[in-house]
Amino acid sequence: MQAPEEPPDATVVARVLSGDAEAFGILIRRYEPALHRFATRMLGSADAAADAVAEGLVRAYRHLRSCREPARFRTWVYRIVANRCKSHLARRPSSDLSLDDLPPLPDPADNATALERAEQLMLVTRALGGLSAEKREAFVLKHVEGLSYEEMAAVTGARIPTLKMRVHRAREALLDTLKEYQ
Amino acid sequence: MSLIDPRIHQVLDGELSRQSLPSELRPALERLEAAAGVLRSAMARRSVAAWVLAEIRRPRPGPMARLARWLIERHAITVSLRPTWSFAVAVLVAAVVLVPSHGTEGPILSAQEGIAQFVGRFPGARSVEVVGSFTDWRSGAIPLQDDDHDGVWQTEVVLPAGEHEYMFVVDGERWVADPLAGRYVDDGFGRQNAIIIVRPGDR
Repeated sequence: MQAPEEPPDATVVARVLSGDAEAFGILIRRYEPALHRFATRMLGSADAAADAVAEGLVRAYRHLRSCREPARFRTWVYRIVANRCKSHLARRPSSDLSLDDLPPLPDPADNATALERAEQLMLVTRALGGLSAEKREAFVLKHVEGLSYEEMAAVTGARIPTLKMRVHRAREALLDTLKEYQ
Repeated sequence: MSLIDPRIHQVLDGELSRQSLPSELRPALERLEAAAGVLRSAMARRSVAAWVLAEIRRPRPGPMARLARWLIERHAITVSLRPTWSFAVAVLVAAVVLVPSHGTEGPILSAQEGIAQFVGRFPGARSVEVVGSFTDWRSGAIPLQDDDHDGVWQTEVVLPAGEHEYMFVVDGERWVADPLAGRYVDDGFGRQNAIIIVRPGDR
């Protein structure tokens, strides 16, 4: 995620707090792709995800002084974007992803590999969308974003045993759904 | 929902080596890993970096600009009176209510607006204001008043109908979630924002 010559998060945060607002661009470039992927998997819509990430990054900049551990900026900004996603989901009639949010059907003009991958993505996204928001968040943070349970606890505010239970239930539900489509 | 063999969870949680998993359990493990791999795959995205940088470069309005904005926006005005004036006020209100009028009382609201009332008890506070999603979380726009110095601060403002998050800011530095709010939402920093729901035409 971070090239060896790039300054660590804590250094960049210190630069921003000392008045170098442009340095915040380093953090944006560093984390935007992962945050966007996380938000897309949570919301099922790339556009809604872009809004959540943009709002989250602006909030992160404006409240940067409240980031008590700049070395852990990553989990802090995940937490902000996760909360933006929850606010977005709370405004929906249901926290489930709607069929309109599924990835587009593959274009038959694409090659066979791309078609297969698009079909897999549609299938898995559909299965993910059937999970509750809490289980979806736990599964995505663990298996898509690769966070440890300790980091997930910092992001979600939930206890580690609770998170483990959510991940386990999510795996079981996903496996059930994926079996149905085989 | 069918249970997964606990050893699959242990492998996925890094508590058990992959090699120790019996071969009949591997298809389920591989199916879950494949699903996660698909979700990790690269996706087309619209970068928001330029927008975010433009937003944080945009100078925030100073106190005078915020005051000017507050003055040109529509607000309901609440007047607090001492109890000794209550009889006179009651007479005045009765006269206004009982005498037929062809006009309208209070601010003229569009179909998408309502009046939000904010009340909080902060004895000894020097100032109280409300900030929220409707002020873009900027302070200085909506002060509360405690004209009779009884520690109860209040104001009313016209807001777009819908749900708004807000906090009270006491003495310009202490952020307090309204203890009387019916609903709260996590603010993203480990605290709770209060929620107010403004209904169209609320007065």
